[in-house]
Amino acid sequence: MKTVAFILITLVSGAIAGTILGLINQILVEPYIDQAIAIEVQNTVASGESVDVDELVQYRLWQKGGEIVAGTILGTSISALFGIVYIYSRDSLPGSNNKKKGLILAGIMFFVIFLIPALKYPANPPAVGDPETIEYRESLYTTMLVISGFAALGVAILYRSLGQTRRESRKIIVPTVYAVIIALAFVVLPANPDEIIISSNLLMNFRIVSAITMGIFWGILGILLGSFWDIVKPHETRATKLRTI
Amino acid sequence: MSSVNAQIVKESSGLPKIAVGILLAILLFGMFIVGYDQGQLFSLVEGQKAFDDLWMHEFYHDLRHAAGFPCH
Repeated sequence: MKTVAFILITLVSGAIAGTILGLINQILVEPYIDQAIAIEVQNTVASGESVDVDELVQYRLWQKGGEIVAGTILGTSISALFGIVYIYSRDSLPGSNNKKKGLILAGIMFFVIFLIPALKYPANPPAVGDPETIEYRESLYTTMLVISGFAALGVAILYRSLGQTRRESRKIIVPTVYAVIIALAFVVLPANPDEIIISSNLLMNFRIVSAITMGIFWGILGILLGSFWDIVKPHETRATKLRTI
Repeated sequence: MSSVNAQIVKESSGLPKIAVGILLAILLFGMFIVGYDQGQLFSLVEGQKAFDDLWMHEFYHDLRHAAGFPCH
């Protein structure tokens, strides 16, 4: 195993995919965030406080730059997990090359790490969250994320252990076990406590573009790591033997 | 008598524990500063001021919302 090469291609793939996420968000997500910020400003003015528009414009430019930096950091950190999962699951993943295998695993991880938690606790634009409840909401979101992640890990182990004895039935058993765990979590965990006071159009459009750009990010990450893998082949090591004839 | 070099390619899926540890540390640190920090990291240097400024929260604000993290 070429460990250093593996770590490098893992982190570089994530950094590139994350930077692209930050850039795509400038076009697809920012219009909705700007609309939500405008609602926040209107509420502030209505409450009798003044808003310095020039200062606000500069501040928003700074935050939009921060979004690209945050994309690079988030992409790198998510890819660290993606790399670990990829190396342990590569032999079991369908696909004739590492690009296909990477894309398939990225799809699974997008579903487990983003989509399932987002169905219980969807992304919200500014003007929705109450600052007083942020730690409570973080704990709920993290609990859902951890349940989904560990449930997926558990059923992956179950899938392997059933490989010899129940090769066909495991295709039904494994997704059923995951679905039951997630259904229980959806029922047991409380709802987001914050009241939603913005238009449902803005809310739904924001959630849809958020899911689209996160899906694009995962897709790029899978293809990039698979492509680098095919070039670098970090799982291979070469040993030279001297033979005397 | 002569000697020849034979090259063998070995395949391995094993990852050293230190590599797993490094990658998990990067995962947790990156996720924390982008998605969760409310001044905790800079408070190590700035004290209470970091909790009032929320610099990292504000700088990463838009991606927090876009990536689905709780925010306000």
